[in-house]
Amino acid sequence: MYAQAADSYTVMSYIDELVSALGKEKVLLDPSERFVYGADWSPRTPDEFVPPDVVVLPRTTRDVQRMIKIAYAHEIPVTAGGGLTGMLGGAVPIYGGIYVDTTTMNSVVEVDPKNQTIRVQAGATLQEVNDAVQPYDLWLPHQPESKWVSTVGAAIACDNDSTFGVRYGKILGCLLSAEIVTGTGEVLELGHRKAHFTSSGYKLKDLLAGSEGTLGIITEATLKLEPIPASRQVDMLVFPRMGAAVDYLSRVLKAGLCLEAAHINCKRRLNFYTHSYKLKHGRDPAIPSWAEALLAIAFAGDPEVVATQREYAIKLAKDFEAQLVEEREIVEAWWASKYTLDFEPFKQKWPDSQKLKKFGAADPGVPVGRLEEFYHKFIETAEKHQLEIIGMNAYLEHPSSIGFSLSCAVFVDYRNADEVRRFREFHDELSRLAVAFEGTMSTFMSDTYQKAPYLELEHGPSLKYMREVKRLFDPKGILNPGKKFLREVPKK
Amino acid sequence: MSNGLEEFKDELETCFGTSCGFCERGCPVYQTLKVKTLCMKGRNRTMLGLLQGKLEITPAVIQAAFECTLCGNCDRWCSLKNTEHTRAFREYLLKHGVEPMKEHSSLVLSIKNYGNPWFQPRSARTKWSRGMNIPKAAPKQQEVLFFAGCTSAVTKDLNKGLVASARLLQKAGVKFATMAQDEPCCGSTLLRVGQTEEFEKLAKENVKKFESLGIKRIVTACPGCYVTLKKSMEMNGSKIEVAHVSQEAAKLVRDGKLRLKKSSEKMTYHDPCHLGRLGGIFDEPREVVKAVADLVEMPHSRYESRCCGAGAGLQSAFPKLSRDLAAKRVAEAKGTGATALVTSCPFCETQLKTVPGIKVYDLMELLVDAAEDIEKNNGNNKKQKAAS
Repeated sequence: MYAQAADSYTVMSYIDELVSALGKEKVLLDPSERFVYGADWSPRTPDEFVPPDVVVLPRTTRDVQRMIKIAYAHEIPVTAGGGLTGMLGGAVPIYGGIYVDTTTMNSVVEVDPKNQTIRVQAGATLQEVNDAVQPYDLWLPHQPESKWVSTVGAAIACDNDSTFGVRYGKILGCLLSAEIVTGTGEVLELGHRKAHFTSSGYKLKDLLAGSEGTLGIITEATLKLEPIPASRQVDMLVFPRMGAAVDYLSRVLKAGLCLEAAHINCKRRLNFYTHSYKLKHGRDPAIPSWAEALLAIAFAGDPEVVATQREYAIKLAKDFEAQLVEEREIVEAWWASKYTLDFEPFKQKWPDSQKLKKFGAADPGVPVGRLEEFYHKFIETAEKHQLEIIGMNAYLEHPSSIGFSLSCAVFVDYRNADEVRRFREFHDELSRLAVAFEGTMSTFMSDTYQKAPYLELEHGPSLKYMREVKRLFDPKGILNPGKKFLREVPKK
Repeated sequence: MSNGLEEFKDELETCFGTSCGFCERGCPVYQTLKVKTLCMKGRNRTMLGLLQGKLEITPAVIQAAFECTLCGNCDRWCSLKNTEHTRAFREYLLKHGVEPMKEHSSLVLSIKNYGNPWFQPRSARTKWSRGMNIPKAAPKQQEVLFFAGCTSAVTKDLNKGLVASARLLQKAGVKFATMAQDEPCCGSTLLRVGQTEEFEKLAKENVKKFESLGIKRIVTACPGCYVTLKKSMEMNGSKIEVAHVSQEAAKLVRDGKLRLKKSSEKMTYHDPCHLGRLGGIFDEPREVVKAVADLVEMPHSRYESRCCGAGAGLQSAFPKLSRDLAAKRVAEAKGTGATALVTSCPFCETQLKTVPGIKVYDLMELLVDAAEDIEKNNGNNKKQKAAS
């Protein structure tokens, strides 16, 4: 999977050009500096770690363009990354070459409160976007747990998850337009300026979601903002089965209630979020023994509206054998872990719970009626591969629908090559199974190198059209090679 | 004893395994330079690479170790003791043949020769207290020691803060003494530039001195001395209590023992890293500011406060970055609409004063100026006035 970096002769021939084009302060060459940029959250053994040959710190689109033109001329792999919080190696430069740290491009270009938009450089973190627009009583509701570090460009390129997907969707729902630099160094604007949607042309902008930097490096983006709701109420309900929680959510939407967040956790998964609760109370949270699923829901808006919706939602729950979690500390521990990230000290999930092993997950999507069936398959598969189970989450990620992404999580001892291998087999097996379930292999981590060998299983003959699209944007295949598709050109 | 870098290997691997990067958000150096080797996640990875034998010591590695203010912001977002890792990283490099940075070497030399890092004679430590009739500590003669700290004592512009602190202690009825010219260096600088062995030796000697004088409690006006003396006591099993003068001042305010003239001026408070995040004292200074002015908070305050850029040898070894950090902090203060920036650390005060555009006050000086029943000047000044 991991190839050796380019030989020193090739490296030297283009690095001089990079230094001359960008200035030496934007080009990092020391082994210690390159060592820091080659890994993300995904489980891998220390031996698999291959640093990039050079790290580039661009400040402008022009810098990115200059760099890509050099890479294009020399056919050097270029991998762009943001916060490096991907969970499946999407931004790991597996063929060495140039790593582009886009976080150096984090300026706000324009805040337009009247039209509720912001234009930012793609390296701005999601939190930095929110810091910039909060004074205007606006927010960007695309909010993964990694929002402090995850950048706008990476959120688009990875198509990661959001806590508030059931109301606002994922990043594509916020993305109006994006500037990219293609694999030839051409600068393109894709999208519809500040209009919320368009019926004109092909929606090339949409190709960027989950593109993993294989079509172009995203350098700027215009994002749609929303007014900040005046209040929010988060609750947790327990259900005897995962399927009952799905049925309940369908009923909530049928009733006309406007959910802001909805997450189904299996009972095991809750424990991953309540570490600080256990530290404080010396015990696990008291959840009824019959409860198999915990559903966290949020309503947001004017207090009276929130109160009415909440009351109605809780009333509906009685028809589904559900019970409200009365102990607020459990709900708050979960919400803090999911959204506010306000720990004292911060140790609920990272890194306190990962001292010995690392979090690893598969991210399939299955039809809404088959959640429970897939849950059992997940447990069975994890046990078969002798992996310690963290549990499953189903996040509702599509506006006003019960469509969910799944996080099927296990602990992985990344120092143990055999366990890392078993994790990958587990991941691949669940991905293939999801397709057999009439679902999809990926819902928030994208394909990366991991799913590349069997992507045809999901896409069939349409995969060749995808390859042609890739070729159009990146004719020499220099952009993040090995991701989505196996690399076609010979290794350097 | 302080842990060596090897003893943090498990923690470094945990950081590598987790890689959340939440330390990036509040790191003043990373947010200014945007190089990931200079934030804690990258620094932890560099340390791990060294211990695993994957990296050699290069100028970039040395830069990663020393281009950090040890402000502790990364510790706020993590259960790992990142600031301790960096301190151990510096010590590791020095033990593995890296020459101390020349700017740091001179500080260390001065501590050895003069008992302070500022090349000032020991006698300079007593200038601030002339005419104040503060007794010099003698065996069993006092229980409370006012530890002035070298920076304020030898810097004329900072003397007023010490005078104010002493006046407040007198007002509180605390019977205290100082060590005058015999006051030792607390060792903060040694500790933070990686001279761990020298620090441990000094800390041991200091604790012995304090105990031989029968000291039960030390009150200091310097946050660096505050955390370092506390660490010295812990390391050497001493029961001597260490307090910061803002705690005494807040008590006076709380108990209504001062007649204060409150102004409507908007002021903001800058938490010194050593007093706030590293020392845990956030509320007391704010009580004092609120008692005399209209306190407005900066967006980054308390645990999230941003370093002024003066700490851990950054000011001497990386002056441009240090100035940039100060400018950022002052810009943030001005953004609140405040016309004055209050702090309670001689380093922060000096550093923030280098940026024009806002008044910078020492917390104790501010309180004494607002107190109608405390003498404002020391005896020395009075004499000067009389002479003129």
